[in-house]
Amino acid sequence: MRKVLIAVALMLALAVPASAQKLNLDFPELAERADEVVDVTLDATMLKLAAKFFSGRDPDERAIRDMINGLQGIYVRSYEFKSAGAYDARLIDRVKSQLGPNWKPLVTVRSRTKDNVNIMADLRGENIVGLVIIAAEPREFTVVNIVGNIDIDRLAQLQGEFGIPRIMKDKDDDDE
Amino acid sequence: MNLENDLKRALRAESPAPGFASRVMERIEREQTRKPHRWWRAVAASLTLTAVLGGWAAHQVHQRREGERAKEQVLLALRIAGEKVRYAQTEVRDIGSHD
Repeated sequence: MRKVLIAVALMLALAVPASAQKLNLDFPELAERADEVVDVTLDATMLKLAAKFFSGRDPDERAIRDMINGLQGIYVRSYEFKSAGAYDARLIDRVKSQLGPNWKPLVTVRSRTKDNVNIMADLRGENIVGLVIIAAEPREFTVVNIVGNIDIDRLAQLQGEFGIPRIMKDKDDDDE
Repeated sequence: MNLENDLKRALRAESPAPGFASRVMERIEREQTRKPHRWWRAVAASLTLTAVLGGWAAHQVHQRREGERAKEQVLLALRIAGEKVRYAQTEVRDIGSHD
């Protein structure tokens, strides 16, 4: 009985930080106002399913498959507006406020004309077990939450490589 | 001579046991009533098999579609994330090169 209780306590202790990594990225007020919206929600089940569709023979696809195999979730919200200043800059703080004590800022870029980018990582020892990217442009607001072990350098290499297609944003009107 | 007698004895006409004819008729009736059941069972089994195979095929098609969609979503998500990380890295490198 005691062993069972210890096992349950251990499972709960492990489960709480793992679930705490996923953030609330619902911004209904932005989705209503945005001209273009990208909404990607991939939990562990969907990632496992997607991994089956990356070829093991193609080295590029294999690299992506290996990368997503270590992940429990990928969540992206990106909103593009017709005019500048269409969203409240305090949204950045709203996302940051959800981050626990393990989260450390990796890179912060501030610019008046281009992207303001905040990259924060959930560090457990030397491992990054979660990543949040907040990119705020005058006409665009993007948040990416990656849950799981992620190699940030490998992620940066993906852009423009591995046959990753151009960004195709869904028209908000099309969704309705 | 003995052989002839033996053959005659063996091949002599004998009346069947009482009730033989009715037993045969009963058996024939039983077989006839059983046959339609077998036919329906076969049809039911075929229909069940068709339904199961059809359901499985539909599930496979649905899974494939879901998988392809998930793959596209992964590529899109990684591209957006990669683009932002790369931009931040470039900015940091540029600042470093100015110093």
